Amino acid sequence: MKRYLPMLVALGGMVGLTIWMTNIGQVGFFPLAAPSKLLREVMRHLQIVVYAAALAIGVGLPLGFVLTRRAFRFVSPILVGLTNMGQTLPTLAFIGIFAVVLGLGLQAAVIALAVYALLPIVRNTYAGIRSVDPATKEAARGMGMSTAQIVWKVELPLAMPVIMAGIRTSTVLNVGTAAVAGMIGAGGLGEIIMSGLAMRVTEMVLQGAAPTAGLAIALDAVLGTAEQWLTPRGMKPATEMVFRG
Amino acid sequence: MIKLEDVTKIYPDGTKAVDDVTLEIEKGEFCVLLGPSGCGKTTSLKMINRLISLSQGKIYVDGRDVYQMDVNQLRRSMGYAIQEIGLFPHMTVEQNVTTVPRLLGWSKARCRERTAELLDLVGLSPPETFMRRFPNELSGGQKQRVGVARCLGADPPILLMDEPFGAIDPITRERLQDEFLRIQDEIRKTIAFVTHDIHEAVKMGDTIALMRDGILVQHAPPAEMLAHPKDSFVEDFVGSDRALKALQLMRVRDVMDETPPKVRIDESLETARGRMQELGVNFLAVVNEDERFEGWVNRRVLRRSGEQVKDVMMRYTVTGRRDTPVNEALSLMLGSAIGNLGVVDRRDKLIGVVTFRSLSEAIQASYSEDEDPDEAHAERETAA
Ligand SMILES: Nc1ncnc2c1ncn2[C@@H]1O[C@H](COP(=O)(O)OP(=O)(O)OP(=O)(O)O)[C@@H](O)[C@H]1O
Ligand SMILES: [Mg+2]
Repeated sequence: MKRYLPMLVALGGMVGLTIWMTNIGQVGFFPLAAPSKLLREVMRHLQIVVYAAALAIGVGLPLGFVLTRRAFRFVSPILVGLTNMGQTLPTLAFIGIFAVVLGLGLQAAVIALAVYALLPIVRNTYAGIRSVDPATKEAARGMGMSTAQIVWKVELPLAMPVIMAGIRTSTVLNVGTAAVAGMIGAGGLGEIIMSGLAMRVTEMVLQGAAPTAGLAIALDAVLGTAEQWLTPRGMKPATEMVFRG
Repeated sequence: MIKLEDVTKIYPDGTKAVDDVTLEIEKGEFCVLLGPSGCGKTTSLKMINRLISLSQGKIYVDGRDVYQMDVNQLRRSMGYAIQEIGLFPHMTVEQNVTTVPRLLGWSKARCRERTAELLDLVGLSPPETFMRRFPNELSGGQKQRVGVARCLGADPPILLMDEPFGAIDPITRERLQDEFLRIQDEIRKTIAFVTHDIHEAVKMGDTIALMRDGILVQHAPPAEMLAHPKDSFVEDFVGSDRALKALQLMRVRDVMDETPPKVRIDESLETARGRMQELGVNFLAVVNEDERFEGWVNRRVLRRSGEQVKDVMMRYTVTGRRDTPVNEALSLMLGSAIGNLGVVDRRDKLIGVVTFRSLSEAIQASYSEDEDPDEAHAERETAA
């Protein structure tokens, strides 16, 4: 429980700040977002992030896997280059380009974020599967497991912690990136932040920023727990084993 | 049972790892593939279960060409232990051990039962404790045992083992070897076992297949290889102490004197001296009323004052058994003042004595026997 404490404090702080700001109701001439509107934008924000993550996982996992197969290994240097390039590209420029191509709205935001999340997932899937000890795979083959059995019973379970780490980081980062999506009319908490900035109302900026941070913290905790849960006991560091008895 | 026929392996880069090897391993034979690093042992082994493809030649298992069989079926019918152990880190010991049984669709209950049986067999008890552990909760030696248990999983008639005791300290290694020999005594598998340790080969193998640079140099029982190395390479490989190594293949029962001169513990010194004179020996083994071994007397101690043998005798608790290897017996003899070794049965009853003389006579005899190798050996040599 102890290691969840900082997370809970931070989350509580963000929720508290959000409620506080919302309760102010109005600053000068400017009404802040009503609770119902706030809730709607939170849901919208989450929707963008989850759709993008689902899309990125759906494409990235198989892609990362296929790249580990011998026939496709020659592509992997290209993948590394692409990953590095993708991370140097400014978020704003990236989303802007997608908005130009796909038009303003939810679709462009989701696809832009999915592409953004894709590379870490592909890279981690690739690295996770490549890191499986060749001796383990040889033992599996030598005992008569079929290729499909080796993939499902050996390679994927052993790569799972690394794959999950990729999903987790990219998804949590995307909670922040999704705020930019507000600029291309996709809605979400970015919209509130944007209005606040435009009208120079600090309270409104906080009203949008605090729940964004809270969302990131909560999502990180949820995915972290899933990661723990999907990591086979035999692969956890020995120190953790001690605490678990 | 396993037959390699003119097998050659040339790797894509042109390395000729195995060069025209013909080798037959009979049913129930424990064949050790021996040779210096890089001589092609692992390659030969992996060609048997098709982990490595052949360049030329044929391999038959039970008379069937392995390339005519379904590859997974073939592999499931042979236990396989790789040099790096290669346990599945995400599976419990039970899941590891029952890898092949589960592939073959055994029921849960049967798998559980088999796990307990195998862990017991390899000395991991209580099985209930070890079953639930993960590989990272085991010591190196325990992992290796699990590797051996996994290899025996579905009770395959054939075992392929690549240095299964490679990464283990000498003491544990010795113990595992002993245990494995005991197991093999019970289960009689056909085994191809890779090692580069000559001691292990001599100790474990029914036959040794010695390789060099991909060529099978000699395939023979250890005793024969030690007595008659085929060429200078074999001679160098088995070492200049090969006569001493051969001792480990002989047992005390082969070299002991079964009618040793003896005296009862309550007989008088006079009687003892008389018997020694009469038999022309300079020691007597001392036994009690139940023929239990008690110690020794020699001329020197009989000169001491006393009435009965028990007043002056040298008490020795160091004894050998019928199946003690002769090299161990020799070491015990060298360490004792009397220079003899009493051989006792389970109830400590004296059944014989090993002396330096009986030892050297037996060794002489075994050498002259070997000058005339029996037909089986001759056959193997031509095969090699
Ligand atoms: N995949 C490969 N490609 C090219 N050459 C190889 C390959 N695998 C092994 N070799 C070479 O084939 C020869 C035999 O290798 P092998 O692994 O069978 O040796 P080994 O007798 O098992 O040695 P060790 O005792 O060191 O394990 C060596 O010279 C090795 O370098
Ligand atoms: Mg090897």
